[in-house]
Amino acid sequence: MDGMTTMTEQNTMTHGVTAGLFENTERKRLRLADETIALEVQDLNLYYGEAQALKRISMKVAAKRVTAFIGPSGCGKSTLLRCFNRMNDLVDACRIEGKILLEGDDIYDRKVDVAELRRRVGMVFQKPNPFPKSIYENVAYGLRLQGVRDRKVLDEVVERSLRGAALWDEVKDRLHQNAFGLSGGQQQRLVIARAIAIEPEVILLDEPASALDPISTAKIEELIYELKKEYTILIVTHNMQQAARVSDYTAYMYLGEMIEYGDTMTLFTNPRKKATEDYITGRYG
Amino acid sequence: MDKNKLGGHYLEKYNEELESLRNRVLAMGGLVESQVIDAVNALVAADVRLADQVIKNDARVNSLEVIIDEQCAEILARHQPAASDLRFIISIVKTITDLERIGDQAEKVARMAVHLAEKDRPKNQYADVQSLGERVARLVHEALDAFARMDVEVALAVAREDANVDREYESVMRQHITYMMEDPRTITRALDVIWALRALERIGDHARNMCEYVIYLVKGKDVRHVSLEEMERAARGETPGEE
Amino acid sequence: MTLKNWFKSGSPWVWLNAGAIAISMIMVVGLLALILVRGFSHFWPSPILMTDLITHDGREIRIVGELSRSQVLPAQVLRDAGVPIDDDIQLVTRHLIKQGNRDVWGRDFVWYPEIGMSQWSYPRDVMRLERREWGDFYGFPVRILEQGRTVAEGDQLWPELQQRIRRANDIFDEIRRIERREIGNVNHRMERVRLSERRLDLQLREGRITVAERDQGMAALAAQRLVLDQEYAVLQEQLDALYKDVRRDTLVTRVMDGREWEIPMAQIIRAIQPNDMNVFSKIGLYLKQFWEFMSGYPREANTEGGIFPAIFGTVTMVFIMSIIVTPFGVLAAIYLREYARQGPLLRVIRISVYNLAGVPSIVFGVFGLGFFVYFMGGAIDRNFYPEALPSPTFGTPGLMWASFTLALLTLPVVIVATEEGLSRIPSTIRHGSLALGATKAETLWKVVVPLATPAMMTGLILAIARAAGEVAPLMLVGVVKLAPTLPIDGNFPFIHLERKIMHLGFHIFDVGFQSPNVEAAQPLVYATALTLVVLIVVLNLTAISIRNHLREKYRGESD
Repeated sequence: MDGMTTMTEQNTMTHGVTAGLFENTERKRLRLADETIALEVQDLNLYYGEAQALKRISMKVAAKRVTAFIGPSGCGKSTLLRCFNRMNDLVDACRIEGKILLEGDDIYDRKVDVAELRRRVGMVFQKPNPFPKSIYENVAYGLRLQGVRDRKVLDEVVERSLRGAALWDEVKDRLHQNAFGLSGGQQQRLVIARAIAIEPEVILLDEPASALDPISTAKIEELIYELKKEYTILIVTHNMQQAARVSDYTAYMYLGEMIEYGDTMTLFTNPRKKATEDYITGRYG
Repeated sequence: MDKNKLGGHYLEKYNEELESLRNRVLAMGGLVESQVIDAVNALVAADVRLADQVIKNDARVNSLEVIIDEQCAEILARHQPAASDLRFIISIVKTITDLERIGDQAEKVARMAVHLAEKDRPKNQYADVQSLGERVARLVHEALDAFARMDVEVALAVAREDANVDREYESVMRQHITYMMEDPRTITRALDVIWALRALERIGDHARNMCEYVIYLVKGKDVRHVSLEEMERAARGETPGEE
Repeated sequence: MTLKNWFKSGSPWVWLNAGAIAISMIMVVGLLALILVRGFSHFWPSPILMTDLITHDGREIRIVGELSRSQVLPAQVLRDAGVPIDDDIQLVTRHLIKQGNRDVWGRDFVWYPEIGMSQWSYPRDVMRLERREWGDFYGFPVRILEQGRTVAEGDQLWPELQQRIRRANDIFDEIRRIERREIGNVNHRMERVRLSERRLDLQLREGRITVAERDQGMAALAAQRLVLDQEYAVLQEQLDALYKDVRRDTLVTRVMDGREWEIPMAQIIRAIQPNDMNVFSKIGLYLKQFWEFMSGYPREANTEGGIFPAIFGTVTMVFIMSIIVTPFGVLAAIYLREYARQGPLLRVIRISVYNLAGVPSIVFGVFGLGFFVYFMGGAIDRNFYPEALPSPTFGTPGLMWASFTLALLTLPVVIVATEEGLSRIPSTIRHGSLALGATKAETLWKVVVPLATPAMMTGLILAIARAAGEVAPLMLVGVVKLAPTLPIDGNFPFIHLERKIMHLGFHIFDVGFQSPNVEAAQPLVYATALTLVVLIVVLNLTAISIRNHLREKYRGESD
């Protein structure tokens, strides 16, 4: 993907990508065929008891890109997101067919250690959910689970993660205060710091900004631009503008089916399917 | 494509705003079209009063452009349109620029009409100007029609017709150069006529631009600065929003 | 019409609700006020009156004592009781006078009719003696004898008396210390030597040791016993000397009928002349008596002295109960809420647990006696304390079984509260932990349980409130009216779970209804009740403040 000015890269121009403003007058759209594939979903069906919640989903997710899932409530986008780190296992009546490959290995294989999988596929939820601990302990939680005791290592990782989540400057003087003292937006970034502290490969964001005010939302979105340099990011959002702003690829889902999946630019200016068009323009189909 | 394409939003007010926007664009188009026809008629009939009327009316065209621009900005800010709605707003913003330019060209023709009314009339009684003017006015009309009905075929026809207009303009130009060489006394008059013809040719180009926006609006493909064939291929390709 | 509007306006509901709360408040405040007034007024030194009464048969008697209360009765009641009263008198006022001196008269509370009574006077030199035996004494001081010789009389008497009482009390405290601590300690070790000897005999009989080994052990124990006997002899000698010393002084008094009466100085705890005291010294005395009540040991079949063992026993028992019930209840609740498969069986279990809270407490007492004391305690005795048999160690009601029984009684409360707390923890928090690669157990212990601690504390608060006030089952499983020793003392192993304890609730019952001297005990009932209420309030406030602290710590996501 060298030498290409993508739409999202234009968004990050403020970060010094001014060279090439005039060189690349010819713009190409992102194409999945050119990407490294991080995750691949193969013919996935998911049932809650008798009801089928996901129907024959197949898709490839590009590495170090942001892939957004949009669609009306109950369309299965959150359910699909939770398949990637097997959070659906917590639902008793949930049954899954098909495969999800993480770097070529099926995560639903019987041999897979779910805790290990969740270390590789981090998740951030809709409502900020810090633990009832200090800011420091929240970030160090994942490492402590893995048995890291060395104070120096912990200090280092906590600082790096908080910097990574653009929260360090705001909290460095009160690392040992309770995390509930932070504002909603800060809590959400803390949760992101907590997720990146264990250095996952993929980060799942389940409506990460829906409970936040516009400025906090903007900070989270800014963070997503930064994070995608190192992580593959999948995001579910109700806010179509948000999906349009932050994502490279977008999937539109409806009633458990993936209606359209492609690069965000195309999907938001010229979708192929009428159903997608109707959804993103706010029409009844 | 059916006229109701703009409607169907859950938000009824949004539908109304888009509809009113389109109607205003069509109203502006209608005004501009009649400006073109009146300017050509004033020139041909040496009707100074009609020419003055056209010159005065151009201010209305300009103010309509400003109003529509504002309306577009408001819709962008309020509704953040996406996909076809977004393309609709973008093509309108561009269309009204071209319409305004057409208005300017019509005004130019009207000014020439004022000049020429004081001069001797040529033998052909400005038949060439009238012929080109009528063709161009029809182009404008059809471009507006294509926009109003979001009809790609009509738009393509306008693009093709514009090529013919260009050819006719060239031949009329050559004719006038011949006149000037034959009889140097006619040069001042011929220059004015050439100015008017040139303005009419530009109106045709603007009409073609408008058609390109229609194709962008309907097909989502940018067909500016491409050959007619490519344009046709793009316009007849797969159609979004119909599956 | 206006009435209809008034109903429609909704204000009747406001009045109804406000009325309900007002009535509740009146009842609660009234209860507390009664206990407070009766309980606190007990320690206020009341004046001692003196009067002469000419009885219906013409005898003249002098009365000295405190007014306990007065009554107005129809004369007929007294006539029926055989007291002759003139026919023209309809109503009779009579006074209950606490004249003390049980050793002199046999009765310390006596009713006297007002008819025939002369003017009451309050002589300044009349005194009240608080004694170790026989209750209070009222009379006039005459002289102090030291080994039969008069040492003080008249004006010097009172200061001299106070000084000598102090001296006697100091000696008495020393005697008490030696008896309780040192001789108690020697006895304790002696008992262990005795049990060790028996153990050796038992082991020999079971063939686990040889005769030679036994004899060797016996010899060592005999040496120990010898040392202890010597220690005991030394202490006994000290005691004899002290007893002799304490018996040195005697106070000669004159009681109300003019007789002289000798009281050994060692008997007197305090001598006061309430008619001669000003407000400040009364307040000082009040506080002193209150403190003695709280910190002292009971005397005279619990009708006098302090209630310290009862407070101590109650608190110890509640603490041990908390230590038992909290982990059990919390673990059970965690299993019910987090691990058990939700289904009909679980519902049945849950309903059973909840209903356990409604079982009458005496049933728990019976269960505790049958299961804990006889079954478990018996088994423990047979296996661990065979040398003490047939006298039981744990096979008899005691502190541990009382705590166990109360723990069982309060278990449902803790389980319900904890389950409630666990269910209120948002699933997003659990998911957050699981999504970081934590197992279910890690999530539970590192995130969920800390968040649920305020709820667990709420459960514990309710448990304590219930346990501290419970009496009925405790009578069966370990509480007695008078325990010779505290459950915690300086002798190894310091906490004696097998000992019987005293308990405030039972103390109230015992003093109020089992006492031989109801009139004397009545103020103590109120004072003890007050103490129990205050104790429960203090325990609750402590638990509540801990809970609030936890809530503050885990503010936000929890309740």
